[in-house]
Amino acid sequence: MRTTLAYVMNWEPPDSNGGVSRRSLLAATAAGVTVSTSGCMDLVQGTIGQDNSGQLSLSITTVPADGDREGVQLARALAENLEAVGIDVSFDMRSPLEFHRAILLDHDFDLYVGRHPGGIDPDFLYDALHSAYATESGWQNPFGFARIGFDELLERQRSTDGDERREAVAELLRQLTREYPYPFVPICFPDEFRTVRPDRFEGWDARHLGTRLGYLGLEPRDDATELTVAGTDSRPSRNLNPLAAAYRGRGTIVDLLYDSLVTPAYGDDGGEYRLWLAEDLDWDDASVTVTLREDCRFHNGDALTAKDVAFTYQFLADTALGRADVPSPSPRYRGRAAAVTNVERHDERTLTLTTKAGRAASERALTVPILPRDVWWSQVEDATDQNQSISQGTWDVVTGDVPAIGSGPFELEDRSEGETVTLTRFEDHFTLREDDLPGPTVDRLRLTIDPGSLAAIETVQSGSADATMSSLETHALDQAREYENVELLESPSRSFYHVGFNVRHAPFSNPHFRRIVARLLDKARLVEDVFDGNATPTAVPVTDEWVPDDLAWNGEDPVAPFLGSDGELDVEAARTKFESAGYQYDSGGNLLARY
Amino acid sequence: MLAQLLAQVAAVVGVLLAISIGVFVGQSRLSTTRVEWRSRVRDAAPIAVVLVLVLLFNRTARETLPSLSWSIGWNLTSTFYEIEGQTVLLFQEYATPELTAYFSYVYVYGYVFVLIFPVVAYFALSDTRPLRELLTAYTLNYTLGLLCYVLVIAYGPRNWIPDLVETTMLYNQYPQYQELTGEVNHNTNVFPSLHTSLSATVAMFAYRTRDVYPKWVPVATLLAASVAVSTMYLAIHWAIDVTAGLCLGAISVVLSRRLVGRWSLSEEFDDWWPSLRRE
Amino acid sequence: MDRESTLENGGVSRRTLLAGAATGLTVATSGCVRQVRSVVNRDTVDHLSVSIATVPADGDRESVQIANLLADNLETVGIDASVNLLAEEEFLRAILVNHDFDLYVGRHPGGTDPDFLYETLHSVYADEPGWQNPFGFTSMTFDDLLERQRVLEGDRRRDVIERIADSVAAEQPFVPVCVPDENRLVREDRFDDWDDHLATRLGYLGLEPLDGDGELRGIITDVRPTQNLNPLSVEYRNRGTIVNFVYDSLGTVAGDEVRPWLASSWEWNGSAATVTIRDDVQWHDGEPLTAADVRFTYRLLEDTSLGDSDVPAPSPRYRGQSSIVDSNAIEVHDERTLTIPMTGSQNVRERAFTVPILPKHVWTERTGGATVPGLPVEQATTTAVVAENVPPIGSGPFQFVDRTGRESILLERFDEHFSRADDELPEATVERFRVAVHPGSPSAIEAIESGSADVTISTLEAYSVDEVTESESVRLLESSSQMFYHVGFNVRNAPFSNPYFRRVVARLLDKERIVDELFGGHASPVATPLAGEWVPDDLEWDGDDPSVPFFGADGQLDESAARTAFEEAGFRYDDDGKLLARY
Repeated sequence: MRTTLAYVMNWEPPDSNGGVSRRSLLAATAAGVTVSTSGCMDLVQGTIGQDNSGQLSLSITTVPADGDREGVQLARALAENLEAVGIDVSFDMRSPLEFHRAILLDHDFDLYVGRHPGGIDPDFLYDALHSAYATESGWQNPFGFARIGFDELLERQRSTDGDERREAVAELLRQLTREYPYPFVPICFPDEFRTVRPDRFEGWDARHLGTRLGYLGLEPRDDATELTVAGTDSRPSRNLNPLAAAYRGRGTIVDLLYDSLVTPAYGDDGGEYRLWLAEDLDWDDASVTVTLREDCRFHNGDALTAKDVAFTYQFLADTALGRADVPSPSPRYRGRAAAVTNVERHDERTLTLTTKAGRAASERALTVPILPRDVWWSQVEDATDQNQSISQGTWDVVTGDVPAIGSGPFELEDRSEGETVTLTRFEDHFTLREDDLPGPTVDRLRLTIDPGSLAAIETVQSGSADATMSSLETHALDQAREYENVELLESPSRSFYHVGFNVRHAPFSNPHFRRIVARLLDKARLVEDVFDGNATPTAVPVTDEWVPDDLAWNGEDPVAPFLGSDGELDVEAARTKFESAGYQYDSGGNLLARY
Repeated sequence: MLAQLLAQVAAVVGVLLAISIGVFVGQSRLSTTRVEWRSRVRDAAPIAVVLVLVLLFNRTARETLPSLSWSIGWNLTSTFYEIEGQTVLLFQEYATPELTAYFSYVYVYGYVFVLIFPVVAYFALSDTRPLRELLTAYTLNYTLGLLCYVLVIAYGPRNWIPDLVETTMLYNQYPQYQELTGEVNHNTNVFPSLHTSLSATVAMFAYRTRDVYPKWVPVATLLAASVAVSTMYLAIHWAIDVTAGLCLGAISVVLSRRLVGRWSLSEEFDDWWPSLRRE
Repeated sequence: MDRESTLENGGVSRRTLLAGAATGLTVATSGCVRQVRSVVNRDTVDHLSVSIATVPADGDRESVQIANLLADNLETVGIDASVNLLAEEEFLRAILVNHDFDLYVGRHPGGTDPDFLYETLHSVYADEPGWQNPFGFTSMTFDDLLERQRVLEGDRRRDVIERIADSVAAEQPFVPVCVPDENRLVREDRFDDWDDHLATRLGYLGLEPLDGDGELRGIITDVRPTQNLNPLSVEYRNRGTIVNFVYDSLGTVAGDEVRPWLASSWEWNGSAATVTIRDDVQWHDGEPLTAADVRFTYRLLEDTSLGDSDVPAPSPRYRGQSSIVDSNAIEVHDERTLTIPMTGSQNVRERAFTVPILPKHVWTERTGGATVPGLPVEQATTTAVVAENVPPIGSGPFQFVDRTGRESILLERFDEHFSRADDELPEATVERFRVAVHPGSPSAIEAIESGSADVTISTLEAYSVDEVTESESVRLLESSSQMFYHVGFNVRNAPFSNPYFRRVVARLLDKERIVDELFGGHASPVATPLAGEWVPDDLEWDGDDPSVPFFGADGQLDESAARTAFEEAGFRYDDDGKLLARY
């Protein structure tokens, strides 16, 4: 009897947002709340009808420290400050694969801290922010950002060139930051460091090691025939589908397996892009006529022709190849390929791409990997024959481990999951015929997977590998500097750490909320504490030359200055900000959520 | 206006009762009743008291229950609509002003009559069992119906698709009746149709007492069917409500048969109401 | 946060996977595990399904009809739509207090001055209960514009308001559908001089009785005033006409202007008003009404807990008005005068005088948190907000006598009211004012025509207007209207957080046809919530909505155009033509 009574007395607390449930009302009635008059009943009804709002609680999705130590530290710093202003924070730690799945494919997150691949050219913002991509899976607009008038700004920077474009980009950035529709907070561009061993190969510093060119044209000493690189990301050993958004970081390995018409030559002396699979580009107003190099082949021996190029653009726009009622665009390369509106084949080697973009964005469209038509066609057929439903960005063709048959300088020999990926030189590659292009100089390229930057450095130091392919986490830099037989190589960086909001849902749909959260981050301080200064804080996600003066970092964030100083959050100020944005606190200092 | 309306209903039903007592009950039964009424009242009193209590509760709870419903009830209007769609519109196809008038009168006057007459008719029988069973069935109808009303929130077709049922909607044609029914019922209480369940109950009793009142059977059946159809024709109830009403009616009849006589309340009654016994 | 929905949509859950493994699914190699993982982890995307909240046809037939029409068109373009009928107070509670809705169709009280958009769309109100921003719309651009129109005057204000109107039309946080004509029926054989707006208190004052009977009989088609007479309750009030008989405000709306009422005058000193209250004003219970009551009222509106609660609990009604007043800086000079500092330009500021003045001695006790034994209640819910307030103690021209739930309210003249002593002011000319509830407009019309009532206080529903037979003694009165029908979106959540999605939904509504067919022409289609002179030229109705034109013509939805528009906005259909719930 006593237990029963205790049970009745001990009310289950209501769910944080749940208001009063039918059950508890029934229980209350049963427990003897006498509801004698209608007036009282109305009061009950009116009172409990008022939804019970609890503390705002949100989760930060991030990868564990093994995958990205800085990311976790940033997330923790953010969480600490969110807790300080009365928000309940939980972490949703996921492996890099699951992290990208949740964010890019399933859109199942509140906010996340991670690394954005960024872009040399600000046109990557088109993919990141265009409203038409808000519903799609992939790196295109994972935030769900959709704002009237913004698509036009994105189109404008895409269709213009030169100063006009520079102005358009500046205007875009201003609009993005002024009234804070900003669906993400860029934190900093980390410096890119890699360790290399100069004893077996020379020429490491000629090209960016984050691109395919970095691994070509190296000069072997002592007749070295095998290049071994150490990576910290095991995903290439599991899946080499160039379109699988969740499996790809920079996609350097994939870039060695596949060719594109032009190749980014960041850090090289040959400008932004250089001709690659294309022998010649003939630019016209809104079109470019491409001439392919002679006698290019895929790894399976098939000739690479204009047909494959045309197919690639068609396929990226609709991976279902017309088999579904609606196009099912690729989760990667989507925004770039969208600049190409039409492809006209002239003969085996020439074709004309019509673009609805200026020169800069059109060039970017030429960096997509060229896929062998026959291979992918049969992939699509197999998948549809098995009655797989074609769900954009998540069906098998764009996420499964499709045979890695490209035309790139290396072909896949073998891989063992979580350990190695072995590539061998593709003897038919055009770089081996053309003298002025850097080609594969080794018979074999091996990627070994290490659990973290320190281990990767160790592998290089011990001579088991020649270079680290992944850029080093900053905490490992000191270690790298200590070794005498390895060199630390710095490359320009374009990827950036950021906090992404799922703006589809409240409270993240509220720009005031986002801006205050942005202001909880002391970016300068974080760069010092987390990155040991090996990063550049930023207010906008584009590289230096595109940043308008008024948005340039000037010792503090010109857009969302930190609420506090010297890393100390001014909790009162932050709380006041939330309050003046219409949020409320309870006596326990908890920020309340009511929706 | 309400008083006027009530008077009107009382008058019409009174006339109907007078006629039907003459036709169905007959002079001889009336004279026995004049002799035996005390014992019959005594027999039927307990259940009559319960029924009155239930009705009073219904009346006072009328204000409270809707709020309670909103707190705990299931809002099923759209579910009903999804299940049966525009079934009730079937009747719209045959709508004529005469038919509308007929069903409106049946819904208001016919219903009241069909409920009251059996009470009178069974009271005129020496065997009080039918009367007690009938009153029990009424009580069950109200009680179970009320329970459903609390648990289920549903609006009738007229509240959902007013445009489609415009021509026959009772309250469009005879707005005054809305005040009358508003006195008895709340607009979220449509599941089940108590009009249907009570009329069906009466019809079932009529069938069971066919030996005593053979002529009443066809009349009761026709009226009950008309009432059931009228609720849909006038866009007050969904077909689902009417079906549920029929089920409720059946359940009440079956239950009443089992319950009556199981606990002989009247015997206990005897002890503290001896004055009636003397007769 | 709200993980539940993802679980629902989540396709095969971890549990199912475990079950699969348990039932003997042998997963031999890690590659296969991943294969399974990547298959089961994939969301099976559901169809988009939305629920449209609205009120039942009793009392407001047009809302449910618009809702049905919208639901049909949504179904046509592949969105599962269900209409959810809620009793009026439940409806308002769901959308205004709990923000628990996808879309709704209903009437918006509107406002003569465009400043009402301030509380309607300012992001600071996105979490508050009441007619202030029920949509959860948040935009810094809007906040800025809304604040600017408050302080600007003349043409500069007009420019800003035009920009606001254009942005509202572009963003469509809600879709204004039409402004219904306000029709009421009055009998002229017993009372004459029905000239003031019958939605305001002045409409019922200064009537000229033609025969000796001192009773005015009004009809409402809404039961809520018989259940609750709390002027702060947002669920039980539409425009609060009945409540305004019982309570006075400092100023009262007469036409386009705010005229002194309880205040005999106010003087502007910068943006602060020094208000003088009329001489010798009393509450219905005989207590004197003083400047302290006025200050108390503004403070109560700002925070109904008067600082007691951890969380400020602003009144869900009169929020826009109270936000103009700096209630903590109100200075009481003596019993009859006080200075009220305000923000904004003068036409905006005078709105603040229209709130009902509440007796301090009654409402002080209501600042505590409302409690119900055994049930958890939200902290910021004070008794002041949920009290029934029966009997209401006001200072207004009529005082409360009695009520019968769902049936009637009886008021009688308050003989001490200041309007009785002042010849310039219209006064209550009847001794008793009986307000009866009728279930719908047809029965209300019949009551007026048969002579058993004098005036319909509620407006007549459009469908019934044509049923009216005007005669010598029965007259149909049309008044200017500011209320409008609208479709509201809960923009807090996808897909309604996407303005492109909202625009496509808005374009499923054929406002012209709605007005013709559902309102029988007794309404005007609108493209903007602003009224009259404030409508910018480019948003004037020109046969179709200039911003979100209907997909199709003559009420016939052009299905493929609408589907294409959804696809252009990035939404996708499955093979069965259903829109996918993927945002």
